[in-house]
Amino acid sequence: MFPVLTTIVFLPLVGALLLLLIENRDGRRDAVIRWTALGASLLVFAATLVLWIRFDPSRADFQFVERHDWIPSFGVQYFVGVDGISLFLLVLTGVLTPVALLSSWESVHKKVKEFSAFLLVLESAMLGVFVSLDLFLFYMFWDAMLIPMYFLIGVWGYDRRIYAAVKFILFTAAGSVLMLLAIIGLAWMHNSITGTGYSFDLLKLYDLRLPRQYEFWFFLAFTLAFAIKVPLFPFHTWLPDAHVEAPTAGSVILAGVLLKMGAYGLVRFAFPLFPSAAAFFAPAIALLAVIGIVYGALVAMVQPDLKKLVAYSSVSHMGFVVLGICALNVQGMQGAMYQMLNHGISTGGLFLIVGMLSDRRHTRQIAEFGGLKAVTPRLVAVFLLITLSSIGLPGLNGFVGEFLILLGAFRWDPRYAAFAASGVILSAVYMLWMFQRVNYGPVTHDENRSLPDLTVRERWVIIPIVAMAIFMGVLPGIFLRPMQPSVDRLLQRVSREAVARAPVAGRTDVTLRATGPADVRVKN
Amino acid sequence: MSSSSIVAIVPILCVMAAGIAAMLAEAFREPGERIPISGLGLVGLAGAGISTVLLWGRHATGFGVVAADTFGLFVVMILVVIGAMTMLLSPRMVERDQLPGGEYYALTLFALAGMMLMAMATDLLVIFLALEVMSLAVYVLTAIRRGTEASVEGAFKYFILGGFSSAFFLYGLAFVYGIAHTTKLDGVGSALAGEAASHPTLALVAVGLLLVGFGFKVSAVPFHMWTPDAYEGAPAIVAGFMSTGVKAAAFAAFVRVMVTAFEPLRAAWLPVIWVMAAITMILGTVVGVAQTNLKRMLAYSSIAHAGYILIGLAASNDVGRGAILFYLLVYGVTNLGAFAVIGLLATPGRANDDLASMAGLSNRHPALAAVFAVLLLSLGGIPPTAGFVGKWYIFNAAVRSGDYGLAIIGVLTSVVSIFFYLRVIVMMYMAEPGDAPSSPEPSRAAVLTLAATLIVTFYLGILPAPMLELAARSVGSLF
Repeated sequence: MFPVLTTIVFLPLVGALLLLLIENRDGRRDAVIRWTALGASLLVFAATLVLWIRFDPSRADFQFVERHDWIPSFGVQYFVGVDGISLFLLVLTGVLTPVALLSSWESVHKKVKEFSAFLLVLESAMLGVFVSLDLFLFYMFWDAMLIPMYFLIGVWGYDRRIYAAVKFILFTAAGSVLMLLAIIGLAWMHNSITGTGYSFDLLKLYDLRLPRQYEFWFFLAFTLAFAIKVPLFPFHTWLPDAHVEAPTAGSVILAGVLLKMGAYGLVRFAFPLFPSAAAFFAPAIALLAVIGIVYGALVAMVQPDLKKLVAYSSVSHMGFVVLGICALNVQGMQGAMYQMLNHGISTGGLFLIVGMLSDRRHTRQIAEFGGLKAVTPRLVAVFLLITLSSIGLPGLNGFVGEFLILLGAFRWDPRYAAFAASGVILSAVYMLWMFQRVNYGPVTHDENRSLPDLTVRERWVIIPIVAMAIFMGVLPGIFLRPMQPSVDRLLQRVSREAVARAPVAGRTDVTLRATGPADVRVKN
Repeated sequence: MSSSSIVAIVPILCVMAAGIAAMLAEAFREPGERIPISGLGLVGLAGAGISTVLLWGRHATGFGVVAADTFGLFVVMILVVIGAMTMLLSPRMVERDQLPGGEYYALTLFALAGMMLMAMATDLLVIFLALEVMSLAVYVLTAIRRGTEASVEGAFKYFILGGFSSAFFLYGLAFVYGIAHTTKLDGVGSALAGEAASHPTLALVAVGLLLVGFGFKVSAVPFHMWTPDAYEGAPAIVAGFMSTGVKAAAFAAFVRVMVTAFEPLRAAWLPVIWVMAAITMILGTVVGVAQTNLKRMLAYSSIAHAGYILIGLAASNDVGRGAILFYLLVYGVTNLGAFAVIGLLATPGRANDDLASMAGLSNRHPALAAVFAVLLLSLGGIPPTAGFVGKWYIFNAAVRSGDYGLAIIGVLTSVVSIFFYLRVIVMMYMAEPGDAPSSPEPSRAAVLTLAATLIVTFYLGILPAPMLELAARSVGSLF
C-alpha cells in the first residue's frame, strides 16, 4: 500500500531541504523561495484533503497504518496511523501552514529562506505528532517541534523575542522530559507485566494494566507535559509572551496547531493509557480548566494590547477544551474535539487580523485605533465575522463546540458548567468591547485615516479562515460524524466500567445518544 | 609468550609507531620545510582501525594483562574516530597558533596509545601505566602554548592535581595488592569474593582510593576542579581531544574495574557512584549556566555529561554498560566537533571564545554557525540528534534498575543545560552582530570532517539501531 501518512509527514521536510538548496544572496531570490514554500505547503494541504476523502468514517480503529521495526532491541517501531480524532487536526495543520506562509509574504524580509524552511520543518513535526502511534516516535516529533518554533519566535519576533523564545522552550522542555521518563517506564513495565519484551506500541500499551502507583505517577508526568502545552492555568505564563513576541505566522501556528497538541495528548495518551488515574484526577484538572476559563477572560478584558488580548482569550478557550475532555462523556469529548478545530480557525484568524493591523500601523495598542469601520470596511467585516465566531455566535463554528462542551459538563457536574458558562458571557464582553474600541466611534488618530483596505494577498489569507468558520458552523455533522466512532471507542477505553460491561464492540451511552447532541449532529 | 599476545596490541603499536614517526619527521625536518605530519598520524590510526576490525570477536589476549575483547575494542574504535578527527582538524590551527607541529602530533598519538591501552588493560598495574602515558602527554599538550599565561596556569593546575590523583590511584592499587596478592582484575575479583570478609575495611579503602583516581580522570564532582581551567588554557582542539578521548579511556577502565574486580563489593560502591552521578550532573549544569566563556561552558557541560555516563554505571545492568559505550561515542563525536568549531573561529592573537564574540555568527559564517547549533542541540539531547538517543538509552538503564530518582535528576538537569546551549544559539542567530572579526575560511579537511560529524549526529539520531545493538553486544565480553 502507498505510504500516505509518511508522504504527508515528510513532504514539508523535503520542501524545506529543497529551499536550502536555493542560493539566495542578499535576498535576490526571495520570491522564488516564497512560492516554492507555498507550493510545498499547498501540496501537503491537498494531500491532507485526499486523506480526508479516503478516510472511512464508519471505522473506529486506526487507518492508513504503517508499521516498521525501527530499534528492534527496544521494541521501538515506526508506527503511524490516523483515526477520527487526529484526521481533522492534520487537515487543520494543512490549512494553517499555507495561510501562515502567505501572511508573512510582506512582513518578513529578513532571511526569508530560513523562515520558510523552519515553518515547513515545523509542519513536518506537527503532522508527525498527530500520526505517531509509537510513543518513542511521538516523543521525537514532540520535542523536535520546539526547535523550529524557537527560531521562529527568536529570530523573526518583536522586541522581547529572545526572552519569549527561551521561556517557551524551557517551559515546554521541562514539562516533556518527565513524560519521556514515564514513556520509558511504560515500555519497561510492558516487559515486566506481560513478559513479551519492551514496547512503545500505543495499542499494546492501551491494554496494559499498570499497578496503581505507577499509573498515577505516569499519568501526572504525561499530564504535566500536556497541561503546559494547552496551556492549563497555572502553567500558562509562557503563552502570552510567546504569542506577543512571535511574528504573525508564528502566532497563527502556535495558537492554531501547537496548543492543540496538549489537548490531543490528553485525549490520545494520558487519559486512555491511565484510565483510573484519569478518572481520579479529572475533577481537579477540570477545576483548573474552569479557573483558566474565567481567569483568562478576566485578564483578556483589561489588556491594552490586541495580541495579548487574543493570547489570554486562548487560555480561556482552551480551558473549555480541557473541561470537555474531563467530562468524560460523548458530548464533552466531541465538543472538545470540535472546539480544538474552532479555536485553531478563529484564534488563528484573529492573529492574522491583528497582524494585518500591526503591519499597517506598527502598533498593536487598542487605544491607537478607533473608527476603522469607515476607513477599512472590508477588513472590519471579516474582523467582525471572526470575532463573532470566537465568541460562539450560533451559525458560526464556535457555538457548536462550546454548546457541546457545556452540555457534557452539565451532565457530569452542573457546577462546572455554571462557572464555565460565565466564560462564554465574559468572552462576549471582552471581544465585543475590543471590537468596539478598534472599529467604531470617530477616527481619533490621523494616521488611521489613510489606512489601506484588504489587499488581494490578504484576501487570500483570510478567505479560507472565514469560509471554514461558516462551513463548520452550519454543517458540523460533516466533522462530527467521522469523529464519532473514535470518540466512542476512546470513552470505552477510559471508563473501565464500560469495558467490563461491553467488552469490545458495544457502544456506550446508547440512551444519551438519542436524547443528547444527536440533534446537533444530524442537523445537516 | 605466544604470537597472539602481540596481535592483541597491534592497534596500540600502530599508533605508537605513528607517534615515533612523527617525532622523527620533526627531527629530520629541514628548517622551513613542511611535512604533513598529521598524515602520518592518520596512517597509524587507519592501521589501528583496520586491526581493530580484524580483531573483533576473536577474544585475543596479550601477555595476560591486555584483553582485545569487544568492550575494549569498541572503545578503541571510538578513540580511533576521535584521533582521526583531531588529525584532520588540527593542521590549520597548529599553523595559525604556531604550535610546534612535531611535538603536537607525537604527543597526541602517544596519548591515544595510552588511552587505547587503558581501554583494553585487565591488570590494575597496566591500567596505571596507561593512565600515566596518557596523562603525561595530555599535560604537555595543555601547556603547548608556552607563551600564554592561561595555558601554563591550566596545565600546572592539571598537572599538580593529576599527580595527586595518580598517587591516590597508586595507593589504592597497593592496598588491593595487599589484600588480593595480585593486580589482575579477575584475580582481584575472586580474591575479594572469597576473602572480602576478612579485610572489609582495607578493601573499602582500596575502592575509595581508586574511585578518587578515576573520578579525577572522568572529571566527576568533587574531583572536577581542574577541568574548566585546563580546557580554557589549552588550545580549543586539544581541549576537545582531552574532553573526549581521556573521558572515553578513563570510563572504559573505570567500568571494567568496577564490574570485574570490585563486583563483590558492589553494595558498598554503588551508593557512592549514585551520589557522585547526582552531584556531578547538578553542579555541571548549574555552574555551566553562569559561564560566559565558551570553553569553560563546554568544560562544565563535559562535567555534566560525565554525570550522565555515571548513571549508566550506577544502573549496574547490561543496558547501562551498553548505554555508556553508545554515549561515549556520541559524546566524543559531538563534543570534539563543538570544540573544533570554537578552534576554527579563533583568529591570530585572538581566541574569540567568549559568548559575546558569537554575536551574529550566523551572518559571518552561516555554515559553521549551523554546525555548531546542531552539535549544541545534540549535547542538549534534542531529537532527532544522536545526543537524544544517547540520553534516552542512559535513562532506559536507570528506569530498568528502578532508579527513577537518578533519572529525574538527569532529565531535569538536561533541561537546565539546554538553557546554556541555547544561549550560544541566541547569540549566533538572534543577537546583533558584534565587533568580532571574520575568521579565515576553514581548510577543506576541516570542512569535510565537520560535515561528517554532522552526518553522524543525525544518522545516530535517526537510525541508531545498528550502533545500539553493537554497543549492547560489546558489553557481553566483560564477564
